[in-house]
Amino acid sequence: MQVVAEHAARPDATEPLLAVRNLRVEFPTALGDSRVVLRGISFSLLPGEIVGLVGESGAGKTTLARSLLGLPPVPGRITAGEVLFRGTDLRALPERDLRRMRGKDLSMVVPNPRGELNPLLTVGEQIAVVAQVHLGISRKKAREKALDMLKAVQIPDPRRRFDAYAHQLSGGMAQRVVIAMALVCSPSLVISDDATSGLDVTVQSQILDLIRALAEKQRSAMLFITRDVGITAHFCDRVAVIYAGQIMEVAPRHAFFFEPSHPYTIMLLAAFSHSPELRHRWTVPDVKRRTVEGAAGCSYADRCPLAQERCRTVEPPLAQLGPGHFSKCHFPVVR
Amino acid sequence: MTALLEVSGLYKSFTISGSRALVQAVNGVSFAIQPGETLGLVGESGSGKTTVGRCILGLLDATDGSIRFRGQDITLGGRRSKSRGKMQLVFQEPAESLDPRQRIGRSIEEPLVALKFASNERQDRLLESIGLVGLSEDMLNLYPAELSAGQQQRVGIARAMITRPELVVLDEPTSALDPTARAEIIELLQRIQGELGTSYLFISHDLSTVRFVSHRVAVMYLGMIVEQGDAAKVFAQPVHPYSVGLLSAVLLPNPKLKYETAINLQGEIPSPINLPKGCFLASRCPLVLQRCRDEMPPPENLGGGHIVHCFRHQEVAALDPTTDTFTRFQEEAKRILGVFPVEPQLDSAAAQSEN
Repeated sequence: MQVVAEHAARPDATEPLLAVRNLRVEFPTALGDSRVVLRGISFSLLPGEIVGLVGESGAGKTTLARSLLGLPPVPGRITAGEVLFRGTDLRALPERDLRRMRGKDLSMVVPNPRGELNPLLTVGEQIAVVAQVHLGISRKKAREKALDMLKAVQIPDPRRRFDAYAHQLSGGMAQRVVIAMALVCSPSLVISDDATSGLDVTVQSQILDLIRALAEKQRSAMLFITRDVGITAHFCDRVAVIYAGQIMEVAPRHAFFFEPSHPYTIMLLAAFSHSPELRHRWTVPDVKRRTVEGAAGCSYADRCPLAQERCRTVEPPLAQLGPGHFSKCHFPVVR
Repeated sequence: MTALLEVSGLYKSFTISGSRALVQAVNGVSFAIQPGETLGLVGESGSGKTTVGRCILGLLDATDGSIRFRGQDITLGGRRSKSRGKMQLVFQEPAESLDPRQRIGRSIEEPLVALKFASNERQDRLLESIGLVGLSEDMLNLYPAELSAGQQQRVGIARAMITRPELVVLDEPTSALDPTARAEIIELLQRIQGELGTSYLFISHDLSTVRFVSHRVAVMYLGMIVEQGDAAKVFAQPVHPYSVGLLSAVLLPNPKLKYETAINLQGEIPSPINLPKGCFLASRCPLVLQRCRDEMPPPENLGGGHIVHCFRHQEVAALDPTTDTFTRFQEEAKRILGVFPVEPQLDSAAAQSEN
């Protein structure tokens, strides 16, 4: 996909901050061969843009998030493709340089915050360490900065929480701490992996507003990974759908929700609407997902209600349908 | 009509080891479930939903209050044998609630082993139960890991239904599932209810699912039911500020349909240790009065079983427009999805993929 075409809806589009080209990640199996989990992912992010990535569990969302940072889940390996950050291929950089960038230029908000925080350090200390190491500031300054971040993420009584340990915080509060940690160095790219899934709706909306405000203030771009299509409708500038390690459709928010074209996207939206009649029209029940590597055709063909012979033999290209709107389907639904 | 289940004034507190403080998880919950009815119990995590379910099933002893099942008092442990097998539970994580080293047929019939059924009768019931949930006989020898998450949850439901229960407590049965699998499970549960008249207590924080499956809904906050009533009514016109806040925070998959509301809850649920004196929502409620901080609002019956605990419910009702976001979304989705020129060929596609 051409960057220019992808951002056609944004005439002011400058150089993308992040451009992923044909990224492929494989996991070796016990049998000696390998399972391809990401099969040629391409997309790009402009500075300040929030792109939602939705998909079911097992689609490769987390693998993608971690591979962008050069840390694919063990034992996965990036076997092909480029991750261009400001034009530099991160895959070509030595680990030492990458380490300097992670947390500073590229950072990640992880799910399950209480599991990810260090139980032996106070949360304030953990935020301060990130700032101290990456920004090269004094310990005192770093602690001040950490306290400012705790205030920015609206933790009540931040001075006291600074000295709290992860287990003393509620889920919502721990999530705020992880966000504070991800944003303390004002990164230009934030990857959020299911950051709000463990939260209750009233807390979730507060956290989303917060992330959005902070991202806007710092002009950070964000890849927002979630299982919840509902969030992306209100939070993201563009939305991409991932299925079986491939991007099936990507579109500006409005087009994504009002002119969805890929049967899989439509199914996701239909499943959300709780309308049995819609769902029956758009899903094929109880079909085991295709896991055979190298099988020809579209990876969604087995579950697709519109699938025809060609879908099972020829893999569809990610073709352009409108400004910034792409769909990987031989028979996209167009009105 | 007598209620199948009647819970009144239920309290449950837990002691904290090494401390004299009490975690007051459930604080005076009352509700009833009629035969064939689904009551949706919604609330944030930590609001006591699961504890209520566990007290009903007798997995926990209530601290105070009474639980009556088919008119009989089953509050205390010793009397529970009367309801054994008549109430069942379906868990949230289908994978974790099945023994990974047991074939699923064995897992499904286990409740009957506990109830000392003879082997041939177990076999009959097993076949009946898997037929009900749409699993095939040749799957009985599989292990849980060989099934998809949706199939695993079918196994969980088959295991619950094998004792022919009158009430099933569904504790977040769809939260761990992907949208397609979730929709299948919901449909299955509704079909079972239609065929057998089973009552459900549907515990979930997923409001749109609750709206879809429930006849009546109860909104829990900090161990209390702050509002309960007819599901369509409560969702269309909530009269408790917490219900309004909860509903307005739901994000529907349509950029144009954001629930507009004047009530925006800030902060988080307070700790259930040292409960506030007045209304539990006072610290987060934008409509709070001094009176709310001083005394607990009593339950008020607005008619038709719609009960609310709030001094200012009339103002809440007046303040929020009567628009049911969920209904609006459903209509919008139909509009978007209904006009496609191509009719999917469901049958041929399904038939081909089976080959």
